[in-house]
Amino acid sequence: MLTYVARRLALALTTTAAVVTITFALVRAAPGEPLLAGADERFVPPETTARLRERFGLDRPVAVQFVRYVANLAHGDLGESFARHRPVAAVLRDALPNTLLLGLVALLVSFALGLGIGVVQAVRAGTWTDAALGGAALAFYSVPAFWLGLMLLLVFGEWLHWLPATGMIDPTVHGSLSAAGRALDVARHMILPALTLALVNGAAVARFHRAAMIEALGADFVRAARARGLGEGRVVLRHALRSALAPAITLAGLSVPALLTGSVLVESVFGWPGMGRVAYEAIFSRDYNVIAAVAVVSGVLVALGNLAADIGVAAADPRVRRR
Amino acid sequence: MIVTSSDADVLFPPAGSTSAAADVAGLVFSRLAELDFQANTVGDSGFRPAVARSWERADSTTIVFRIDPRARWHDGAPVRAADVAFSFDVYCDSLVNSRFRPNLAAIDSVSVRDSLTAVYHFARWYPEQLYDATYHTKVLPRHLLDSIPRSRLASSGFARAPVGSGPFRFVRWDANASIEVAADTAHFLGRPRLDRVVWRVVPDPAAAVAALLAGEGDVTPVVPQAELRARVRASPDLRLVPYASNGVAYIAFNLRGRGGRGTHPLFGDRDVRRALAMAVDRATVVRSLFGADGEVPAGATARAQWIWSHSIRQVPFDSAAARRLLESRGWRDSDGDGVRERNGVPLRFELLLPTTSRARNDAAVIVQAQLRSAGVDMRLVPLEYALFDRRSLRKDFDAAFMARTLDASPASIVQLFGSEGVRQSNLGSYESAAFDSLARRAIDSPTRAAALPLWHEALGTLNEDAPAVFVFSPPFFAAVQRRLEGVRIRPDEWLATVSEWHVPPDARLPRDR
Amino acid sequence: MNPYRSAVARFAANRFALAAALVVAALALAALGAPILAPADPIAQPDPVGLQNQPPSADYPLGTDRFSRDVLSRLLYGARVSLGIGAAAALLAVTIGAGVGLAAGLASPVVDQVLMRGVDVALALPRVFLILLVLALWENAPAGAVIVLIAATGWFQTSRVIRALVLRLRETEFVQAARALGAGRRELVLRHVLPHIAPAVVVSATIDVGNIILLESGLSYLGLGVKPPSPSWGNMIMEGKDQLLTAPWVAAAPGIALLVTVLACNLAGDGLQDAFDPKGAR
Repeated sequence: MLTYVARRLALALTTTAAVVTITFALVRAAPGEPLLAGADERFVPPETTARLRERFGLDRPVAVQFVRYVANLAHGDLGESFARHRPVAAVLRDALPNTLLLGLVALLVSFALGLGIGVVQAVRAGTWTDAALGGAALAFYSVPAFWLGLMLLLVFGEWLHWLPATGMIDPTVHGSLSAAGRALDVARHMILPALTLALVNGAAVARFHRAAMIEALGADFVRAARARGLGEGRVVLRHALRSALAPAITLAGLSVPALLTGSVLVESVFGWPGMGRVAYEAIFSRDYNVIAAVAVVSGVLVALGNLAADIGVAAADPRVRRR
Repeated sequence: MIVTSSDADVLFPPAGSTSAAADVAGLVFSRLAELDFQANTVGDSGFRPAVARSWERADSTTIVFRIDPRARWHDGAPVRAADVAFSFDVYCDSLVNSRFRPNLAAIDSVSVRDSLTAVYHFARWYPEQLYDATYHTKVLPRHLLDSIPRSRLASSGFARAPVGSGPFRFVRWDANASIEVAADTAHFLGRPRLDRVVWRVVPDPAAAVAALLAGEGDVTPVVPQAELRARVRASPDLRLVPYASNGVAYIAFNLRGRGGRGTHPLFGDRDVRRALAMAVDRATVVRSLFGADGEVPAGATARAQWIWSHSIRQVPFDSAAARRLLESRGWRDSDGDGVRERNGVPLRFELLLPTTSRARNDAAVIVQAQLRSAGVDMRLVPLEYALFDRRSLRKDFDAAFMARTLDASPASIVQLFGSEGVRQSNLGSYESAAFDSLARRAIDSPTRAAALPLWHEALGTLNEDAPAVFVFSPPFFAAVQRRLEGVRIRPDEWLATVSEWHVPPDARLPRDR
Repeated sequence: MNPYRSAVARFAANRFALAAALVVAALALAALGAPILAPADPIAQPDPVGLQNQPPSADYPLGTDRFSRDVLSRLLYGARVSLGIGAAAALLAVTIGAGVGLAAGLASPVVDQVLMRGVDVALALPRVFLILLVLALWENAPAGAVIVLIAATGWFQTSRVIRALVLRLRETEFVQAARALGAGRRELVLRHVLPHIAPAVVVSATIDVGNIILLESGLSYLGLGVKPPSPSWGNMIMEGKDQLLTAPWVAAAPGIALLVTVLACNLAGDGLQDAFDPKGAR
């Protein structure tokens, strides 16, 4: 088990290193002076440009810059956000927890939905229920997440006025609410964006899980359990579900990139103050340090997600470890 | 609760440039004297005491202000004449680079006679001395800012948590989400009738109106789209308060090259600029954007200014004449792609836009189509506001879609289009001796009646040279909850009367507490 | 036995997949024929005052947007962008993926391991954020850049699948026999390996196309990719999102178009996968 974990850890570290290197290369390779363009100088005479280059270390050879970049990253220094006049690390520190919160809730809901639907489909394979659910899953799998978000906003936010339109909290009252009230405020605002992400991701989970469950239900030990006279319910829940769990955990880990991607679009639609929206705003302000930092952070998150999934699978299914 | 379209960039009055920043600065800080509601900037009579309890003229170039001894900073320290002199110094400091600096050019210096007396010395006499002395600068606390290097003031902790002497004190700022200020109950001019004012950032105007309709906001100062205004009118809880627009949006051409040097290959040519101006059907743009509410600007002015008049000379909309003019300057479409060329160079340029302004973005799309039919390819480059601002100031553009809120006094036009403004706000680097002298004579005229024809002549000259196309003057409507009373809006500073705004006790909501 | 003939038969028997394939074909034809089919110029603004935000009518079957542009025409021209970029990027991606997979499968174990470790790492890269970074840095990126970026970040799964397939094929009787008969490497690949991986490549491409179209529309929605006034389904949604209440057709039409297109691609892809590999878990 330990060697397995060590190998997966090595992979996670390599991916992180790759993301950092690629990000650095992209920003430095860009034409023009992307870092200077963002510097807060109103009139830039040549002497100031030279001073700026020195301050940002752009006059050193590339290798030195790279080492400095990595060293800064290790210390948690992600550079300065030109648009917001704050260190990028501070900006992300405010935004990342919101994305994680939304992502985690969406992940849980999507798995509840997807597993549930997948199980039902597998048990009723070939019937109209299966076809209908499969069709619905395919539809939600094929819809653009941001458009789905807009439509949900239109229906629930506007026409029915059930749910708040944008943001994460209601700033007028939030400060004066109790802890429970504050949590409820956030929860109300989280329903629509989380639902959007969950529907799209849940469809993918359902499609995948249906296949996994059908295979599990057809396996030998399940047939043996049936032959022994165990009730269908028990057969499904205890045996088939357990063996389909391993691929489900992998899928959970693999969902992290999809959720992060979705976060950029969904957060802008709903005004959710998370990392995705920060990245979106950084595009229009040419705030390269922010975008680069977001790329690095999401790379790390994806690597962690895969690692967690790998470990989870190995813990659940001993056969995997021996590979 | 105010719903505003963009966050404040910085709460340090000399440096802030967004409307929210100006709003907060107006509530947290105070001036030496405030303009009356009529906003008459000419002469000495249209002002009310604020930090200065009284003032008098020692001679034609000197005004003496007596500070109200009751005036206090929010941290308890008393306001002194030294603060006034310090504030003037900061606003004029090139390291701070405040956009108000050019407005103070006529003031030679501010001296301190004693702890409660500050004296303003002017270079020469002109009618708006009192206006210039009091309107552009807020009084800043010397004891808190003195020790900070001037170039760091805008990024200091103070800029994120300001301490002023205004009727409201700063409470908190959640970046990109909300700003809150609370009434200063011990304020020397009497406490404001509201307890708290909260700004909530909602970039999308439709969402802003939706927030008001849902009771999640009390007022928003601009409702740019006609369908949104219709919704406000239809709602029993809200009312639409129109007020004279002091905004003008214009496409500024960069007459020099990128970066402000040399001559622009396209816009250095006056005929090309005039042709472009003639190709734009401004009336269609205005009607498409604002319905019947909007106005085509007569030039570099807006309805809120007393010089506004449609009798000012303008470049007419005449697309046939525009095409002829371009042809005569050698711009012909030789390869049939719909875009004119001259010596192999296509008639193409980039227009910078801020992403925050829906109206400008929409107007730009319409203008783009209109120019296209004249054979001109205008590319749109939407940028986030701060970046748009930086690039504009660096003159790193071909054309930029600017929007200005004009002062109560037309004198500030010289910063936008006069030669003296070339290093600061005259972003297109337009220089015309004729315009300069006309404007100067208008500013020095002792009465409005004498100044009016001079202003009209100056603006007419400006229009004929077409350094910019003055596309629209947005209609100003505030959407206000009916329960919020006492709301009178002064065009140049919509929150000027906020101390009188109140909610009667029987109309209070839970969130008012 | 020709695997293709039975696969085609199976595919044709699958009603949904067949319908989906026909829909895709129809969309592709509509996109190609946009200049003929579109009733109006997609960027022309006939009357930004009188004809803005018109609901669907006889003159404007899908209504007009706030600049009086015809939504139907913009939808058709937008199809060219969305489908064109989708198809091109998918083709490019599977070509690269197949090439790498082939190389890994046929090469020495060392090269294979190196390539596959690289793919493992690449699979974990945050695709969208890297594309965002490049497009934000590159001010006036041409349409081709988007295609290359999407393709360059999307071939990894295909390479894995192809490699696995190639490894299996190496051990089959055909290949062993051909080798024994002295067939050269080139001949082996061309005659024995390629025909058998072709179906997997096609399936991979069809499965990818849907995701690529969604990715491109997302990028356009964010303002990257195709810039207005040229229409793409993504930027049409971006422009229409402010008018959801007053003119919902402006954002709804491209969204529904996207949904239908991607749905059809996914259905057809599923059908293809079933047709070539009926013993798969369905």
